[in-house]
Amino acid sequence: MNGHENTDATLNLANLQAQQLCYEAGGNTILSNINLSLERGKVLGVLGPNGAGKTSLLKMLSGQIASHGQVSWRGKALNQYTPLQQAQQIAVVNQLNESVFALSLQQIVRMGWLPHKTLLSRETVQDHQHLAASIAKVGLSEKIHQTFSSLSGGEQQRGLIARALVQKAALIVLDEPVNHLDIYYQHQVLKLLRTLAHQQQMTVVMSLHDINLAASYCDHLCLLDKGKMVAQGPIKNVLQAPTLEHVFKIPCQIRRDDLSHHLRVDFYPPDEAETSQMPEMVQFKSMNPPDKRYY
Amino acid sequence: MINRWSFLLFLALLSPIIGIFFGAADLSPSQLYQCVVAECASQVDSVIFWEIRLPRVLVGFLVGAGLAVAGATLQNITRNGLADPYLFGVVSGAGLGASIATLLFDSQVGETLTLFRLLPDVSFSLALPVAAFLGAVFAVTLVQALASSSFGGRGEHMLLAGVAVSFMLSAFSHFLLFLGDPFAANKVIFWLMGSLARVEIWYAWIMLPIVMGSVLLLLLFGRRLDALLLGDENAKTLGVNVTAIRLLALGICAALTACIVAYCGGIGFVGLLIPHIVRRWVGVTSRALILGCVLVGGSFMVLVDIIARSALTEQEIPIGIITSAIGSVFFLLAIRQRQT
Repeated sequence: MNGHENTDATLNLANLQAQQLCYEAGGNTILSNINLSLERGKVLGVLGPNGAGKTSLLKMLSGQIASHGQVSWRGKALNQYTPLQQAQQIAVVNQLNESVFALSLQQIVRMGWLPHKTLLSRETVQDHQHLAASIAKVGLSEKIHQTFSSLSGGEQQRGLIARALVQKAALIVLDEPVNHLDIYYQHQVLKLLRTLAHQQQMTVVMSLHDINLAASYCDHLCLLDKGKMVAQGPIKNVLQAPTLEHVFKIPCQIRRDDLSHHLRVDFYPPDEAETSQMPEMVQFKSMNPPDKRYY
Repeated sequence: MINRWSFLLFLALLSPIIGIFFGAADLSPSQLYQCVVAECASQVDSVIFWEIRLPRVLVGFLVGAGLAVAGATLQNITRNGLADPYLFGVVSGAGLGASIATLLFDSQVGETLTLFRLLPDVSFSLALPVAAFLGAVFAVTLVQALASSSFGGRGEHMLLAGVAVSFMLSAFSHFLLFLGDPFAANKVIFWLMGSLARVEIWYAWIMLPIVMGSVLLLLLFGRRLDALLLGDENAKTLGVNVTAIRLLALGICAALTACIVAYCGGIGFVGLLIPHIVRRWVGVTSRALILGCVLVGGSFMVLVDIIARSALTEQEIPIGIITSAIGSVFFLLAIRQRQT
């Protein structure tokens, strides 16, 4: 909604921009007419139900799939970058489930050097310092020689973020970075990403399932439903009860948390809603003759 | 880690020396020393040293190193620890080539084919490796074409295509052998079992540049090959041209295996086993793995060849039989160790 309201001035400031993105696969429209823009050093959370097109959007924004419409990064269309130039600018953090042979954490993080190395270039002292600093930044210095697959989910995720740091990318794109993590690591990983964005001016785009986590750690949100952008912008613009109810098909209420001052969404699944006077549920009750329950 | 590398280096230097000293004929160390620094004491010594032992040790080392490197590379690019150069149909392709060659050299068939008369007058022993090489290249090309066109280039599909092509080509060559001269068939079967028995020194001069060139190229692309371990999608986000790297690596493996199979037949299990040992010892990243495979694979082959030469009196066992026997036991042990 807000995507169309951007003035020219804000468009020029934007680091990452998408215009009229469309994507079709196997005759199905996955995404249609997506516009968004994001400034440098901001965290964008992509929300939406399963199958809304979150992963496809992230893949388009990171240049992994070609797009109808245009994605531009720093004022230049993504398809004008070579794959190598793209990798120097954009890091992608996917869940890693294909490590057959026992690579260590360090060996995986080192791969972040790849876009900056030619076949013959050697690793310099600065490279190694930067590597150590990156691993320290995600708090994994002590586990540097451990096998990657022996690390916990949260540690693996932070390891991959360290790889993105080694990659010296200005944009990090993460697909559900806190999936399968326990609450402690969810907050750890998201806090780390927010710090990187705000302190080092990295731009972060990630998809999230937990709306409340997104509300706590993102600067901007965008809400997808069936391949369409339903809402985007600052948190308070996106987290509107009618919109969320429409997208997620569950009644909800929005409040501001007293302690953290973040917006909170409370969902009321239909059973609980019976007691909380939701309009649809009232209708549902009236359809059943009340005395039927006593038979 | 430095200790382990120096041990491997020591092993790689020691095994050829042992290989030269041991054999069916008794040559004392002093006689051999004389051969190296000056001239051999007798004509027999000279033949044994220069024409039998030295070529076998050199070629054996190159064959072992080449097979191990090809195996390691295939395992990395398919992300499958069961990949083996021979699973890609290379041996059965080479076998088909060899069978066709035997059929052509069969005097009756040869005379009826006018095309064959146009070929230069070459001996059977020279034509066999050439035909095997062509067959191996054909098999790899076929597997690669199948895997990249109809199966989307995914690692596991490539393996399955390899297995299918293997069976198909073996069927052809068995049919040809069935039709052909039984004596020639015997020869082909012995050759398919894998043997260093008829090795000559010029084999080494052909293999050396191929093995060295392959190793250097693979080392050069080592970091990019590592990225493939993370999966194609992840490798692409690191700016790696996955398709090109995989094609290059496959081409290298094909060249390595084809030239080895062409001269020495099917020596099984080395390409499967050695990379697993090396991974455990010196690491999983491509550069360490490939260097380790050169050292361990080469030493292993030289040492096994000593057994092949001297286990039976009067006769030698085809080396492929021994590598398969030792390899399968080691492999089972390795699997068991991993589970516990």
